[in-house]
Amino acid sequence: MSDYRLYLSLIPEALIASQLEPAAFGAYYSTGRHLHAHDQALFFEVDPSFRGGDFPFHLADERCVTQPSGAPKSSVYLGIYTALARVPVSALGNLYLVTDDGRTLELTRGEYTADSAYSLHLYQEFCPVRPLVASRLEPQSFCRSITDPQHPVNVPRIAFAELKLGELWSDPAHGNADDLPYPAIGHLRDVLLDFEHNTKENKLVMRQVRQGIIYRMVERGFYVGDHKDFAYYPFPSHAELESKHYDWWRSAQVTRFD
Amino acid sequence: MTEPVFWIAPIAAIVAMIFAWRFYKEMQAEDEGNEKMRTIGGHVRTGAMAYLRQQYKIMLVVFAVVAGLFAYLAYGLGIQNVWLPVTFVFGGFFSALAGYFGMQTATRASTRTTAAAQTSLAKALRISFRSGAVMGLVVVGLGLANLVFWFILVDLLTPGDAIDGARLVLVTTTVLTFSMGASLQALFARVGGGIYTKAADVGADLVGKVEAGIPEDDPRNPAVIADNVGDNVGDVAGMGADLFESYCGSILAASALGAAAYVAEPTMQLKAVVAPLAIAGVGILLSVLGVYMVKTREGADQRELLHALSRGINVSAALIVVAAAGVLWLLGIDNTWGIWAAVVTGLVTGIIIGRSTEYFTSPSYRPTRSIARAAEGGAATTVIAGIGVGMLSSIPPVVAVCAGTMLAFLFASGFDVAQMGQGLYGVAIAAVGMLSTLGITLASDAYGPIADNAGGNAEMSGLGPEVRERTDALDSLGNTTAATGKGFAIGSAALTALALIASYVEVIRIDLIAAGITTLVLPDGASVATAEASLLQFMAYYNVTLLNPVVLIALFLGAMVAFAFSGLTVLAVGRAAQLMVDEVRRQFHDNPHILRGKADPDYERCVAISTVGAQREMILPSVIAIAAPVLVGLLFGVAGVVGLLVGGLATGFALAVFLSNAGGAWDNAKKHIEAGHHGGKNSVAHRASVIGDTIGDPFKDTSGPSLNILIKLMSIVAIVMTGVTVSFSLL
Repeated sequence: MSDYRLYLSLIPEALIASQLEPAAFGAYYSTGRHLHAHDQALFFEVDPSFRGGDFPFHLADERCVTQPSGAPKSSVYLGIYTALARVPVSALGNLYLVTDDGRTLELTRGEYTADSAYSLHLYQEFCPVRPLVASRLEPQSFCRSITDPQHPVNVPRIAFAELKLGELWSDPAHGNADDLPYPAIGHLRDVLLDFEHNTKENKLVMRQVRQGIIYRMVERGFYVGDHKDFAYYPFPSHAELESKHYDWWRSAQVTRFD
Repeated sequence: MTEPVFWIAPIAAIVAMIFAWRFYKEMQAEDEGNEKMRTIGGHVRTGAMAYLRQQYKIMLVVFAVVAGLFAYLAYGLGIQNVWLPVTFVFGGFFSALAGYFGMQTATRASTRTTAAAQTSLAKALRISFRSGAVMGLVVVGLGLANLVFWFILVDLLTPGDAIDGARLVLVTTTVLTFSMGASLQALFARVGGGIYTKAADVGADLVGKVEAGIPEDDPRNPAVIADNVGDNVGDVAGMGADLFESYCGSILAASALGAAAYVAEPTMQLKAVVAPLAIAGVGILLSVLGVYMVKTREGADQRELLHALSRGINVSAALIVVAAAGVLWLLGIDNTWGIWAAVVTGLVTGIIIGRSTEYFTSPSYRPTRSIARAAEGGAATTVIAGIGVGMLSSIPPVVAVCAGTMLAFLFASGFDVAQMGQGLYGVAIAAVGMLSTLGITLASDAYGPIADNAGGNAEMSGLGPEVRERTDALDSLGNTTAATGKGFAIGSAALTALALIASYVEVIRIDLIAAGITTLVLPDGASVATAEASLLQFMAYYNVTLLNPVVLIALFLGAMVAFAFSGLTVLAVGRAAQLMVDEVRRQFHDNPHILRGKADPDYERCVAISTVGAQREMILPSVIAIAAPVLVGLLFGVAGVVGLLVGGLATGFALAVFLSNAGGAWDNAKKHIEAGHHGGKNSVAHRASVIGDTIGDPFKDTSGPSLNILIKLMSIVAIVMTGVTVSFSLL
């Protein structure tokens, strides 16, 4: 049995072996060894016995060992391309959300039931591409749709989050968008209104989201899946974050300037 | 003192000190919380005391030099009042002492407020507000006690007949020099404190929040303690010294103008001198009453908290209206109701300025919301909107002071503009009216940093959400009172400075007589005895008219001094903040364990950097504030000094309102966005508003409040240096 862990990073996409615990890895991955970098990170812990996907695990066996100084090895990259496509959903463990200053929140899998309350949805994709997409499909159907091999435009596997639309899901034209921090709200309204005039399931809102994820806007949670498997990671309510994960929650709300 | 009403003042001063002591002991008896809370509180207290020690060291040197200079001018050259060196030192000492007591109380109270918030909001409010009241009561108590002491002492030791009107003019103008020490100490406290607090705040935010992405009040930020210290340094010691000086200055100017206005009627003259002291005394007693009225129920919302605080202030203000009438009636002063109306005019002017400040800086109203809306367009539109709102915000306070001045003048003069002496006395006593309930209004100012620090302590100690909710509510209330407090401080400074300028001429009269100039030859060839010359005759003698180019030149210079002073203080914050930024970056770089939360940062070093930076940076603005009236006096004489003071006051007042309100509006526009408007947190508008808020920081907490001191200090420097101006002026 190896003494290292496997992490599948979504931003950027990579499979990494590390001797660090998830929280320590999140802090290291987000801020660097000397804390001179500051960036968000999202990663899954991967079943340590996973050996598929044609990754060079021998490199991990050789290099992911305790340092001569006694320090654990922080990271050995095993793949930086199509990593998510090569790790099955069944091998994915908990999801970790890391803030700019390296604080980590652990999300476990939850039971997914489709929520029919909303007729319109907004999805931020993380991997393998990073667009912002409006959809009339609930998350599982959206996942199936995007990963459907029959579909002319598809990806083998996808990780994404559903974002809040506020009142726009019910009233795209006039709904209050005061607390929605997305750029180009007018364009978002136009895209949502378009659903009234055609039968499209999904529409692109933004080709690429350059900033990371605004955690406070996550609606129900995070999703990963393909046309067969699907996993749901519920995001705690703001009240729960306030009371049980206060340090992470405060850190997640800091506006950092690039 | 033969006037019985006079004794209200010393009794009230003693009552203030007794209640301040009582509130302090009550606060000390409260639980200080767990070890972590005590440790954090200890860091803040140590930092605050380190700052005061450093400031007092520099003050000691400056006061020694200036007192030596005054002593040489008084005893060596004989061109200065012989009391000046002593009153100067006392004024500075007691202002500093009030600041010291206030800081000791505030830094101890914040930890206890946090501890109380663990179980009760009502208790936390009581501890924090009554601890703020310690500062308020110490300022008014020490201030009034000193004035009473000096009036009695100078009255006893001044030769001449007690019924000689000129003698009481001499007594009151002599005691007026007490303001010089208080004013110079206020300059150090306000400018130094303002630079300190914003250097720490901006430094902590720029590296901590913006670069490293760590939240506010995070114990990993090396500048977090300096930031907490800064709240006390700026809003407790700085505000306290500012208002100590306004309080004493307004009472002294009113007494001096009262003595001058009724110089021909010695009995009425004494009543006019005593009236401001007695009104201030009654104000203290009502302030104590008001403090006891500030209480709330458990689970109170923000509106109820504000109502609780307002109840204390409003009841004190309402009762002073009635009590002032009683005092004046008991005194039997001429034109009782006219003088009373002047007092009420001052109070109303203060309320209008406070409300105007609230209107322009509160997110509940259109101006601040317009800045928040402009933030959707980015940083540039945010800055433009903030500057515009800040400039417009000068309209109500300036109009209020103009109307207040005119009304007070007319009421006190019996609507006879020829009674200029009585009219100016009315203007001065209006300032006394505005400041009469300073005991409680300053309590609400000093309460702010206590509540703010309590919130910081709760964050750093990792207390539960219910505690943070309570401290956040108290902190939010403190932000509201801080904004109104700043407006009040500016308004009172403007009225006090106006009264001091009017007193200037009386001091010239004394110095001319002392210099042996007993007759004035007016431009029309007529001669008039210096002792009997009217204010208008003095103006004619010194050619103080707008047709005199010297007056116009000095007016421009006065306006320029206000801008130069502001520019220097803004730049000073930038430089001091850069030192802090470098230090925080260095600590993060050299010790990565700090950001991991595995090692404590070096808080003391950041405190020391801010302290030294503030002391160094305040030198140049301070020198300009002191040197300007002296140099203008030497170059252009009395006409030039009057022009300088008027130019400085008019420009400084409007500029102070602009700077304070623009900064306050930017701050609250950001909070409005963070509350979920225009995209809320993390939006483009939020980023723009953060930039606006950062620009506004030195505006509202350094340059704006420091201008209060500038306009008063220039007047008082002009007053104490009249001997030099009269003796050595080139024109």
